[in-house]
Amino acid sequence: MRVPFEWLKEFIDINESHHEVAHRLTMIGLEVEAVEQVDSDVVFEVNVTPNRPDCLSIIGIARELSALYKTPVVFPEHDVLAETGELDFNVDIADAELCHRYAGRVVRNLKIGHSPEWLRKRLEKCSIRSINNIVDVTNYVLLELGHPLHAFDLKTIKGCRIIVGTPNRVKGQGTRIKFKTLDSIEREIPEESLLIWDAERPIAIAGVMGGMETEVSDSTVDIFIESAYFEPVSVRRTSKAIGLKTESSYRFERGTDIKMLKKALDRAAYLMKEVAGGTICGKIDIYPKRYKPDEISVRYNKVNETLGLKLTKQEITDCLDGLGFEMKKLANSLKIKPPAYRRDIKREIDIIEEVARIYGYDKIPAQLPRATIGIESPEDRKSGSAKVKNDIKQALLKSGFTEVINYSFMGMQDIDLLGIGEYDERRNLVQIKNPLKTEDSFMRTTLIPSFIKNLVQNLSHGNRELRLFEIARVFISQKSEVSSQEAVALSHCRTECSLPVEREHLAAIYYKEKSKALYRDDTPDFYIIKGVIEAILNNLRIYDYSFVRSSEPFLHPGQSADIFIGSRLPVASSQSVKAGYVGALSPAIMDSLDIKAHKPSVIVMEIDIDRIIPYAMQVVKYRPLPRYPYIERDTAIVVDSLLEAAMLMKWLKSYPSDLIEDIYIFDVYQGKNIPEGKKSIAFNVRYRASDRTLKDDEIDSLHKSLVDYILDKTKGQLRT
Amino acid sequence: MIEDLKQTFLEELKSVKNLADLSNIKVKYLGKKGIVTSELKSLPKVPPEERPSYGKKINEIKQFIETELDLQESRLKQEELKKQLLSESLDITLNGKFIPFGKEHPINKVLSEITDIFVKMGFSVEEGPEVELDYYNFEALNIPKDHPARDMQDTFYISDDIVLRTHTSPVQVRVMEKRKPPVRFIAPGKVYRCDADITHTPMFHQVEGLMVDRGITFSNLKGVLVAFLHQMFGADTLVRFRPSFFPFTEPSAEVDIGCILCNGTGCRVCKGSGWLEILGAGMVNPKVFEYVGYDPEEYSGFAFGMGIERIAMLKYSIDDIRLFFENDIRFLRQF
Ligand SMILES: [Zn+2]
Repeated sequence: MRVPFEWLKEFIDINESHHEVAHRLTMIGLEVEAVEQVDSDVVFEVNVTPNRPDCLSIIGIARELSALYKTPVVFPEHDVLAETGELDFNVDIADAELCHRYAGRVVRNLKIGHSPEWLRKRLEKCSIRSINNIVDVTNYVLLELGHPLHAFDLKTIKGCRIIVGTPNRVKGQGTRIKFKTLDSIEREIPEESLLIWDAERPIAIAGVMGGMETEVSDSTVDIFIESAYFEPVSVRRTSKAIGLKTESSYRFERGTDIKMLKKALDRAAYLMKEVAGGTICGKIDIYPKRYKPDEISVRYNKVNETLGLKLTKQEITDCLDGLGFEMKKLANSLKIKPPAYRRDIKREIDIIEEVARIYGYDKIPAQLPRATIGIESPEDRKSGSAKVKNDIKQALLKSGFTEVINYSFMGMQDIDLLGIGEYDERRNLVQIKNPLKTEDSFMRTTLIPSFIKNLVQNLSHGNRELRLFEIARVFISQKSEVSSQEAVALSHCRTECSLPVEREHLAAIYYKEKSKALYRDDTPDFYIIKGVIEAILNNLRIYDYSFVRSSEPFLHPGQSADIFIGSRLPVASSQSVKAGYVGALSPAIMDSLDIKAHKPSVIVMEIDIDRIIPYAMQVVKYRPLPRYPYIERDTAIVVDSLLEAAMLMKWLKSYPSDLIEDIYIFDVYQGKNIPEGKKSIAFNVRYRASDRTLKDDEIDSLHKSLVDYILDKTKGQLRT
Repeated sequence: MIEDLKQTFLEELKSVKNLADLSNIKVKYLGKKGIVTSELKSLPKVPPEERPSYGKKINEIKQFIETELDLQESRLKQEELKKQLLSESLDITLNGKFIPFGKEHPINKVLSEITDIFVKMGFSVEEGPEVELDYYNFEALNIPKDHPARDMQDTFYISDDIVLRTHTSPVQVRVMEKRKPPVRFIAPGKVYRCDADITHTPMFHQVEGLMVDRGITFSNLKGVLVAFLHQMFGADTLVRFRPSFFPFTEPSAEVDIGCILCNGTGCRVCKGSGWLEILGAGMVNPKVFEYVGYDPEEYSGFAFGMGIERIAMLKYSIDDIRLFFENDIRFLRQF
């Protein structure tokens, strides 16, 4: 809302500078966002909150200052001398619930033309374009008194008759109306939208915009000015339904001043006579639904209890004086009736806010609460999950991974690119009805598409290395199949259940240019990321996990694994759940990306944190340190090259002996001296007893039988 | 002859260059067939009266040679070690091998900072769904359908009843539905609005806070938020509260801090006002209490909310909010 200072001063006597006034307005809740110098005047850009439509006018701002400065508001002149009684006009309000009051006035013999300079200037300062003297006056009164008016060309109104009603009411249920508005657009009008009709047809959309056919034009001589109170929700629905917002609808949907309506009408007639030389004729005013404010009881002590103040009764009423309230003072409370322009005032708390506003927020002391002491008790799972998330995050940061935050959106093309299967839950998409871009129409069900974008973008800047991670939610739509009976019984739950499942995911991407490295490390990239995952799991004290060859369609089949939690068996089993995957992006994906240089090997991983949390809650228990020395033995065996390490380990660990403390593989070799189709695997076994020192010959024979056992299992041979 | 022996030995010792030479000399003099050993063996051939003094002399020489050889040996060993170490020397000015620690995203960095301050003040941390029912996002926060207050936020819709939450405020309702007062928590998280330009992204972050107990006042709201802002921006930060409107709080306040860039003299960032809007807050509207079944006559409380991007932008002087979500490593590594 733009407020010229010089106009404001017409209605209230202010001695303070515009700086001071702007500050005062800001501090009572009318934030002056900008102060603009226009010629010799200044214009305030006031941010009026949706609860205060009464301040969408010069007079409204003046009223607020009046309450603050305790100076009266001077209302503008609008003597309408030539009131020639009632109008021979038949006005009918068919939907009184939607139109509480309808008034109108006829002005004859006008000369339509340009507005005088003072009028144009004022409109200009408020960023309103001058059209002609009649339209300008209605706009002027809108700005001055906050009440929207509409002027019809009188001769275009058929049958000296006005009906206010919805198509449903006026034309019968289900009538579809097409109507051409002032902006010469033909619009389809919903059957429950309030319209203004003449004897034959609709002539305006109530509170939104007038019709093309009854518009004031250069040839207009006589006009009918409408000033009415339309019900806010109805105007808002209509405005939304037809997608048309106007200065009028903006005010009507927030609520106008039903008592100002007649004043506005007279003021407009008066000004039209001034600027267009017309004759003011009769008026009509139908007021079926009178404004009757409820009396609000305000307890003095409640004011102080809410604000943390110790105001006297006098101080409280002083604050409220000048706000236009009708006040009755009782011993412990006030009985208040708000004026018609303050429909936002309905309850005690609304009055308390007024006291605080006028008293001044800055005068209320800042005091820390005397709080009840106690640990807030969020469910354990939640606090646990925050800790797990933080542990994971710290581990990744220390491993050199930088955190990213991507938008939660993705597109169908992303899921298609990954080749996600038809029945995969990652296709249970949550779709946004009004996305900003079609490629952002869905909520992510996997974080990988975002990482592919991060990769492409960062590679284009010539980064030699990329380690990124993100912890964010994915959204899996639930196919709710609730029978209608259940739905009725559990209506709240039903809507609750229609929300998607939100799961916390971790994803990371790794790429490193190998050729230019000062110190060589030829560990395959896959193992670097697998190692990070193992470090994370071990740090969370999760030991029951396994990596199983992955079938994710977007990963390199030879360099990818699914991560199973709950069992150490190297196969998917009933005790284990898939918690994620790790692997190289498939060559097909890499080929499809817009990467100019050579296609690097890129490792990605994604883990469902919510799936691993239940396994991470293990309590730490101390185990005594070993007191006796260990004995180690190394052995290399030659086995089929397809035998996976996990299988060998599984067999080694299945050998029944309490003395085996640890086994690990320290070498895998294929090549010279090893037959085609075979590989050599070397492992180390550490033996220890908890109650004695082991003897070499005892371990020699134990190790020999372990080796025999494993050779039998693997059908392998000792490497010589 | 025996006197010359010492002299000859010392001459020969001078020519020793390494441990091998030394070992040769050792054999030559002290070996089984060495000169000194032979002399000792030939002792019986010496006339008996000269034997004691001769024997003593030989033993002296033997000891002398042994000592000299030992000395020489340790010196040579030292030298060889030195040579070896020298050959093992590295260019210590080459870069060390290390993986630089990763960087936390600036938004999460600021978020943890805010969370830590409130946790110290006894607030717990709560979460809520990002895809939210219209009921929690609007209705129960006193923002009915067809209310102009809905225009304050451009909403992404999933269906008529489901939206992407436009603020973290629905967590207030969810927590109060579950728990009896007193409650004191913050709820950080992602929120969504369909808006995109240099100052708006369709997704951003907020922290919501709520405290409900007996006897909580507007003055307490000011106390807690001033304490927070002083922790966050420095103890001499100016703070001002001014009336505003949120449907779920009343009285409502907008909280400004003195511009940290121009110290209140007015600049481009604060649009010349000297103040920066940083928080929205207010006393919980009794209407909201009615929705969650708290008795507004018994309990009162305050709620507040703030945008993290805005705070991060101020803190790091970032002028384009979109940078946060482009995830350019050259940007992220700076924090
Ligand atoms: Zn500034």
